[in-house]
Amino acid sequence: MASVSKELLRTIAEALARVPVDPSDLPGIEAQLGAQLDGLAKLDDLDLQSVEPATVMLPPREAPHGR
Amino acid sequence: MAADALTLLSIAEAGERLRRRTLSPLELTRAYLARIQAEDGAARCYITVLQEQALASASTAEREIASGRYRGPLHGIPIALKDLVMTRRIRTTCGSRILKDWVPDADATVAARLAEAGAILLGKLNMHEFAYGPTGVNPHYGTPVNPWGHDRMPGGSSSGSGAAVATGLCAGALGTDTGGSVRIPASLCGIVGLKPTYGRVSRAGVVPLAWSLDHIGPMTRTVTDTALLLQALAGHDPADPSTAVAAVPDYRRASEADPRGLRIGVVREVFFERLHPDVRTAVEAAARAFEGLGVRVEEIRLPRIHHAGPATFAIITAESMAYHEPYLKTRASEYGADVRARLLTGQFVLATQYLKAQRARQVLRAEVDGVLTTVDALLLPTTPVPAPRTDEREATVDGVREDVRAWLTRCTRPINLTGHPALSLPCGLTSEGLPVGVQLVGRHFDEGTLLRLGRAYEAVSPLRDRRPSLAA
Repeated sequence: MASVSKELLRTIAEALARVPVDPSDLPGIEAQLGAQLDGLAKLDDLDLQSVEPATVMLPPREAPHGR
Repeated sequence: MAADALTLLSIAEAGERLRRRTLSPLELTRAYLARIQAEDGAARCYITVLQEQALASASTAEREIASGRYRGPLHGIPIALKDLVMTRRIRTTCGSRILKDWVPDADATVAARLAEAGAILLGKLNMHEFAYGPTGVNPHYGTPVNPWGHDRMPGGSSSGSGAAVATGLCAGALGTDTGGSVRIPASLCGIVGLKPTYGRVSRAGVVPLAWSLDHIGPMTRTVTDTALLLQALAGHDPADPSTAVAAVPDYRRASEADPRGLRIGVVREVFFERLHPDVRTAVEAAARAFEGLGVRVEEIRLPRIHHAGPATFAIITAESMAYHEPYLKTRASEYGADVRARLLTGQFVLATQYLKAQRARQVLRAEVDGVLTTVDALLLPTTPVPAPRTDEREATVDGVREDVRAWLTRCTRPINLTGHPALSLPCGLTSEGLPVGVQLVGRHFDEGTLLRLGRAYEAVSPLRDRRPSLAA
């Protein structure tokens, strides 16, 4: 499991995201993020170079008239 | 028939009696309200019970049916809604303290469609706060009781919906499913739950968790009842641009077709790893039961599906954080601790990770589409474990210790990512008497085939006609 320091999380929250995080929430955030970071990095194993991101507001392409 | 027994009729059974006028909407609604009054103090399924409104609606339905204005199989049927479905002049809390007094001024499309079909709204159902959790444990309104084991989680996030349907506190309910929140409580409470295709049912007027993963679906005691509710819900809605202008078939008729000759693929990767032994036994038995029904069952592979977990994590955390950011800046202390920590995690997911996840989503959707050209449906466990105890945070299976939340969603969240329809069916009991769910996944907009398979299986399921103790 990857690790992210609580200090780094606090800095990002304050300086970049600007959403305050109570110190008591940091262990839970650290655990959730740490459990997923390796998996997120491994998305590179998929050949995504020619793939466009799925759009939020469109149904699957099986319904081409969906709007 | 005793009033209490009326509450265990299926929607189809009750609907037929209502149509023939051998049962009145008022009689049926009173029976449900009496059961709610007797049981819900302990069961904690409802946040708001609408006694006067339900009786008024039942009186109207009674007059309409008596005068020949019968609307169809939901006319006079008492149902309930997860409390994130907006209801006009009725508070909609989202299971939260933040919205405890919020009264919307309009109905969600799904609420309006059920009302138009003549359904009677009994009330608004308990849920995991803001739908962000698979356990159903709620610090603000209490945790609904799983009628199969009173110390067990009902599953979430549609916890009140699952427990209320299983306990006979409504004839059917709506849930929402972003990572499994219809199918998980359906599995843990031993009922039927359908996550329709993304784009099949309007999300307009339903408070979002993650826009690109949210689905709304029926939760009922039988497959036919799921077909009847889906019929009323499905179809394009100009208020929700994600809904498709695709034809809506006759789902009940589709469910009644013989499944012989259909093909089912069993996917081992991810879905059959680290299963509770009783879950494995029940799901394998379900696969054999389908063979007995004349369905061809074969093994198929989804070699890249393990990427679905991290991809859904990036999408659900980023989208939910984006929605909740205003509240998190000003009212963070009013969230329950588990939901607040999960929401705040979203601000540490990079934009590039989010977009990579949305690109991975296309690859995984194509992979599932590909195998569904060779089989008609996939067969998977719904949850790898039966209902955990309500205080359980981690569990160990096959020597691996894992967070209960991650465990409960492992088999369901990949299908939110791909948008395919998925039907959870009760398929057995563990040695401790807890229900097990099996999940069928179909082609986009092919809910009819899932209902066809599900209805045939239901007739041979070991859980047919079994009731939990609280609902007995």
